[in-house]
Amino acid sequence: MNLLRSEWIKLWSVRTTWAMLGIGLLAEALFAGLYVGFAPLEDIGQLEDVMTGVGLVLVLVLVLGVLVVTTEFRHGTASSTFLVTPRRWPVLMAKLAATFLVGLLAGLAFVLVNGGLALPLLSGRGGSLPSASEAASVYAGVAVSLGLVCVFGFGIGAVVRNQVGAIIAAIASLFIVSALPELLPGSIGDYFPAQAIGSMHGNEGDGSLGQVAGGFVLAAWSLGLVAIGTLLVCRRDVSE
Amino acid sequence: MAELEVRNLTKRYGPTVAVDDLSFAVHAGRVTGFLGPNGAGKTTTMRALLGLLRPTRGEALVDGQPPVRMRDPLRTIGAALEATAFHPGRSGRAHLRVLASAARIPMSRVEEVLELVELSGAAGRRVGGYSLGMRQRLALAAALLGEPRTLILDEPANGLDPQGMRWLRDLLRSQAAEGRTVLVSSHVLSEVAQTADELILIRGGKLVSQTTLAEFTAAEASAVRVRAERLDELARGLGERKAMVSRYEDGALLVEGATAEEIGELALSLGIALHELAPRRSSLEERFLEVMGEEETGS
Repeated sequence: MNLLRSEWIKLWSVRTTWAMLGIGLLAEALFAGLYVGFAPLEDIGQLEDVMTGVGLVLVLVLVLGVLVVTTEFRHGTASSTFLVTPRRWPVLMAKLAATFLVGLLAGLAFVLVNGGLALPLLSGRGGSLPSASEAASVYAGVAVSLGLVCVFGFGIGAVVRNQVGAIIAAIASLFIVSALPELLPGSIGDYFPAQAIGSMHGNEGDGSLGQVAGGFVLAAWSLGLVAIGTLLVCRRDVSE
Repeated sequence: MAELEVRNLTKRYGPTVAVDDLSFAVHAGRVTGFLGPNGAGKTTTMRALLGLLRPTRGEALVDGQPPVRMRDPLRTIGAALEATAFHPGRSGRAHLRVLASAARIPMSRVEEVLELVELSGAAGRRVGGYSLGMRQRLALAAALLGEPRTLILDEPANGLDPQGMRWLRDLLRSQAAEGRTVLVSSHVLSEVAQTADELILIRGGKLVSQTTLAEFTAAEASAVRVRAERLDELARGLGERKAMVSRYEDGALLVEGATAEEIGELALSLGIALHELAPRRSSLEERFLEVMGEEETGS
């Protein structure tokens, strides 16, 4: 717990965290407000349309996860971190918990902004609202997926360590690799990270695993990366 | 048991050997200066002692154990490695709070060490705006956070003004007087000459000598520069009397282990006319460079 607390202070004592989450939520409010407020009503068929802007929040949370580990090596704070805790894996487990929590928190904030702004707007225009149970399950899926995406970014950061390289790798693995499944036969493509996120959000277009299964697939990817990253960080020298 | 010990430590980075079969021990209750030119392997050795890198061969021990096995790391060992290893966007206070909370050290101790290194006023500011001297103080504050029994400081005097240097010296002396172990590295002898009781000199990753400051200073007093008419004969005579004789570039002799009086009397008994007989009053710094240089020509 003391390690998690330490990681939590690390996260919130730099402006990056505040700025990224702030920008994400502001942009989300703007996108969703504009789209739901002005798009033709017949285009807003389901909750997926109401959640315009979730992609940007996703990217920001992903990068935030990457930074949790790469900044330590970039600025050399890894030395003092591992000096206080020479056994390194507990530190990485604390980072795992911290990234999941901060991602989940971002997800909940997203849900508050989206649900509090876009849904009343839609109902004010006389559009058809999703059922309460549908909204609840989709929003829950979004919140949890953001938690897992942050862990996914953290895992890539731990494997790659170089900040720029890790950010590129993280974004590529979610957004470029996601085009690949269309070339693959059968349902293999559903098990890619981006498709798993789609499933979690209840999107009908990409991913047909169902929300819970999608969650397990994304969790498996994220934890797999964290496991490899933890192994590498424990083995490598800290000479920065 | 030595508080810090390095046994046959070797660290390679690909084809480069940073530390080469290095062995030494550091004891409590005194300040040990760890000296060598830049790139001598000081930082690598210190990082091995802190468990931050794994030796290629040999071992680095803290209280007789590998550093990763430390029970209560921050109370066992405190280190200030580089004055640049901070997140520039985090405040000095937050940096210390991060470390304190990981080590279950009360936040009141953070304020104490900030006070101690005279950084309380700037503690709320982001480290990116700190001067080098302020960063050194912050690094020291982090090292002192757990009131550790052992301090490892890498070039702590870099960037300090003369007042800061005096302050640092007093701090190190008092830490040693309290029975703690203090290992402090530098590439400039004068920085540690007034503080260190013991010196460990390394060069090219190898041990040059481990000596006390008193021995080191005594050795320089007995060097004498000599020119005479039959120099070779005189050199042989000195060699028979167990004096160390080496040559200057201009041909003159550098004699160690014999006083000017002894050399003069020997020359008289051999019937050699002396042209120059000059006891060398070299500074500690020159002596240091000399020792390092000897090693260079010797290898």
